[in-house]
Amino acid sequence: MGDPIAIGAFLAFLLGTYVVGSWIEHRHYRTIRQREQRWRRLPVVTFRQVPAGWRVEDSGLVTGNVVISVDYFKRVLAGLRALVGGPVKSYELLLDRARREALLRLKQEAMQGGFHAVINVRLETSRLANARGGEGVAGVEVLAFGTGLKLSQPPA
Amino acid sequence: MSFDPSLPRDGVNVSRTHPLREAALLIAIVAAAGALCVVVIATAVDWLVPKLPPGLEARLFASAWPAAVGRDADDAEEATRAAAAQQVLQRLARHWSDNPYALRLGVMREDQPNAFALPGGSVVLTSGLLERVESENELAFVLGHELGHFHHRDHLRGLGRGLAFALVMAGLGAGGAAADVAALGGQLAQRGFDRDQERAADRFALELLAAEYGHVAGVTQFFGRLPAPDGAVEEALTGYLATHPLHEQRVEALQALAEQRGWPTTGALRPVAE
Repeated sequence: MGDPIAIGAFLAFLLGTYVVGSWIEHRHYRTIRQREQRWRRLPVVTFRQVPAGWRVEDSGLVTGNVVISVDYFKRVLAGLRALVGGPVKSYELLLDRARREALLRLKQEAMQGGFHAVINVRLETSRLANARGGEGVAGVEVLAFGTGLKLSQPPA
Repeated sequence: MSFDPSLPRDGVNVSRTHPLREAALLIAIVAAAGALCVVVIATAVDWLVPKLPPGLEARLFASAWPAAVGRDADDAEEATRAAAAQQVLQRLARHWSDNPYALRLGVMREDQPNAFALPGGSVVLTSGLLERVESENELAFVLGHELGHFHHRDHLRGLGRGLAFALVMAGLGAGGAAADVAALGGQLAQRGFDRDQERAADRFALELLAAEYGHVAGVTQFFGRLPAPDGAVEEALTGYLATHPLHEQRVEALQALAEQRGWPTTGALRPVAE
């Protein structure tokens, strides 16, 4: 990469993927906030025990799973960070989105299953390697899982 | 138990730095690191190169005659031109008193006019250059320029810098775009060294020309007939990226030098031997 055309193409591609990537991110955040607002009455908590006073009629596993890919811009930034060191800020929004989306899908599954609350919620994350043999990151998977409870008296 | 739902906050888990600001900062840092790396390497190579005796260089690179170079036996005209160029090269080299190289000359089939100084004392001209040359003086300037590279051992410097930089990049294990950005900084720094070498080689060539012919005519006309070094579009875009100084700058520097040393810029041009 020495001639101005290659440099220009690189910068243009970087800027282009930034514009498209942040547009998609912005849209995603809008739906995340909408759904968080809409479904906020469903308790999703990390307690391991059933809270005192809840009368459980039925329980079951509920999961929410999401895979989000890294755009070129974020990957380049993370690659540069890997040389210099320091917080990989470009991945923070990506992981924040993935965590919140996974929890929303968990809530959705819980509601579809007729559960009134989910306890003992845990988050797992794993990296999906590229098909090219582990070089770079194709995407990140976040899995939220917990125990859905059907209650005789749903919490207010 | 009562449940009081609250919404997640966009809080401490996301940094507030603008991504483009972050990108600009990181690109600048990594490119600067690449450039610094080249400056350090170039300094070390410049210190090391004069310590390598030309005799050893000649032995090391004895077999470095590129495969692309070979006289086309069918092309009698080109063979004549090459033989004439060889004679001009030998005559010019006489003015370089402590020349340690056994000079060789080859012609490469390539339409782009260009010339190279290879380790071990080989000068390679492209057939496109031989076709474009209109006087012996012009040819002598090109050959003198390559002799200048030998005189300053530039062929080894360029080789050493390239090798060392490639080794450093491989050692870092930097891959993908990050390596490209570092290499970009390195190349920009390298171009500065390249152009300094070209200017020095130009001055050496002019000195040989003045010694051989008593004047330095023919040089400026020759630059006018050459295409821009890295393509006209790119040259217009940015002069800094070019490996060679721009033609106008070279001509200006050469005219200034001729004036300073009192060399006439006009005189009889010798025709190229046909």
